[in-house]
Amino acid sequence: MIPGAYGGDFFRSPIRGVMVTGATTPVGERLVRELLADDTVGRVLAVGLEPEDQALSFTDPDRLVYRQVDLGRSRRAHELLFGVARELEVEVVIHTAMHRSAHDRGQRVRAQNVEALRTLLDLSERHPTIRRLVFKSSAEVYQVQYDLPVLITEDHPINLAPGAPQFIRDRVEADMTACARMGLFNLEIIVVRMAEILAPGTGSQLFDYLEAPLCLRPAGFDPMINVLSLDDSVRALELAGRAMGVQGVFNIGGADTLPLSAAIQKWGRMGLPMPGGVLPFFYRARSRLRGSEFSYGMNRRRFHYAAVLDATRARRVLGFEPTERVNWPGQMLDTGP
Amino acid sequence: MPFPPAIARGLAHMMLDQETLDELEGLTINDAGHGFDPFGMHLDFVRLSVGITRWFYQKYFRVISIGNEKVPATGPAVLACNHSGTVPIDGMMLWSDVVRTTGRVPRAIADHFVPTLPWVGVLFARGGMVGGSRGNARALLENGEILMIFPEGTPGIGKNFSERYQLQKWRVGHAELAIRHGAPVIPVAIIGAEEQMPQLAKIPGFGAVPYLPIPLTPVPMPVRYRILYGDPVPTDKDYRPEDADDPERVREASRRVEEAVKGLIEEGLRLRGGRLFT
Repeated sequence: MIPGAYGGDFFRSPIRGVMVTGATTPVGERLVRELLADDTVGRVLAVGLEPEDQALSFTDPDRLVYRQVDLGRSRRAHELLFGVARELEVEVVIHTAMHRSAHDRGQRVRAQNVEALRTLLDLSERHPTIRRLVFKSSAEVYQVQYDLPVLITEDHPINLAPGAPQFIRDRVEADMTACARMGLFNLEIIVVRMAEILAPGTGSQLFDYLEAPLCLRPAGFDPMINVLSLDDSVRALELAGRAMGVQGVFNIGGADTLPLSAAIQKWGRMGLPMPGGVLPFFYRARSRLRGSEFSYGMNRRRFHYAAVLDATRARRVLGFEPTERVNWPGQMLDTGP
Repeated sequence: MPFPPAIARGLAHMMLDQETLDELEGLTINDAGHGFDPFGMHLDFVRLSVGITRWFYQKYFRVISIGNEKVPATGPAVLACNHSGTVPIDGMMLWSDVVRTTGRVPRAIADHFVPTLPWVGVLFARGGMVGGSRGNARALLENGEILMIFPEGTPGIGKNFSERYQLQKWRVGHAELAIRHGAPVIPVAIIGAEEQMPQLAKIPGFGAVPYLPIPLTPVPMPVRYRILYGDPVPTDKDYRPEDADDPERVREASRRVEEAVKGLIEEGLRLRGGRLFT
């Protein structure tokens, strides 16, 4: 039984079917695996963009069904939900599919990030078996600013900067779209705003940043950051999927809260403080030359000012407590701020 | 400035005697993992900060602490203090005094611009300072910590010498926070800081910093500090949490604190007499 406001035994109550989008991403794949390991879950419908033979590294002919569907196309999404999802009696949709490259932009990317969710919400609201939709959002929707609280609660200001890159704008719009539908229909909606998952293939800006042997950061600043492990992120999604009767927005913080310099050190990299004005040029050049994902412009504020998710609500209501730390590969000396 | 905790620990051991280090062993923080609290405080840096301020506290300003037993040993509390001195050394001395005499690390609530100051913002954060947002204060009080608030804010340290020991506009936020979170307010007066660095003028609008002071002396003078703690204003007992939404009740609580601080200032000045440096 999960302790908390809802205190029921929803954690062990059986679910006939769960649909996981973004099933071929590290988070989605791990989530599908965990759901299959849970005997209270009936069937799992995994949805991804990849062809079936390249999609998942495991099979379960009795309980796992994979479908290659571009959810940005509403007709395909409709066929999926009112076809195989209805047949499998899917009760819970866990939507994790988001475009992961920070540099890609355009209508096709937006369709995947925003329109796919809008379509899923539209269809789920009138679906005969779906009762619940969990949307995996991220801490990137929050505004980071020197005069805002360090501990970010769910009512923290959202980053609505008009000059924000599409990567951020899409995430904010998707998050707001899900929030705007809460309580209007019988469909239960949960938005989980996750701290950055420090793992490959998750679209983590920080992971890409830490991949460089030398990590430049603004001199004189060493903000606190919070990162989430893959295991904890999957567990949070499972809990959100099972918390029947619960709606709302929940921050999911990780077990690692530390200064940026310590993160660099623990990742086994050399940190080098540099004047902040130099960093955009350096990282733009790195991105062009090496095709890396990290954008200093997108992270400038969080590289100056502390921002840590306050996950009290998730702990109280969902019973989520981060337990698994990121696997920090090593340590080297950092030269300080 | 080297910032890894190991270096801070080494420096603290060089600066402090064993007895002080032993006393500081009992300090605790809300460790969010890796030895830091969510706001960036780290005990090795707290000890280093005690080491850095030790000479100023003991030798330069020769702080006399009166009534520090009134600071609660546990639970949330708000220290509300007068503010002065052109540069916020009064905050450092009060912080140092509370750590040394009570074994608790008070969380100084700083003006919004402080986290934007390179190096300074980081060093202060490692020692426990937090930016002055309502959310930060709420989280700390809910965690049972002591806040150190200067209700006059920047106008307090920015006032001219002719206005010394005259409280500037006394903001009410500290009282509201204390009422809402069931914390007592301990009034504090600092005598001495007003004369350490008389301010002649100020240049307004210096970047993120609200003004650039023009002091009479290039460095603070070695005036003697006297820190007086008053009886707690029982905002945790005389008010209900919902009173925090009643502006009149909040103003009333704030006035009680202000009057208490004024009384402590008068008492401190009477104790000091004309002796600025002794």
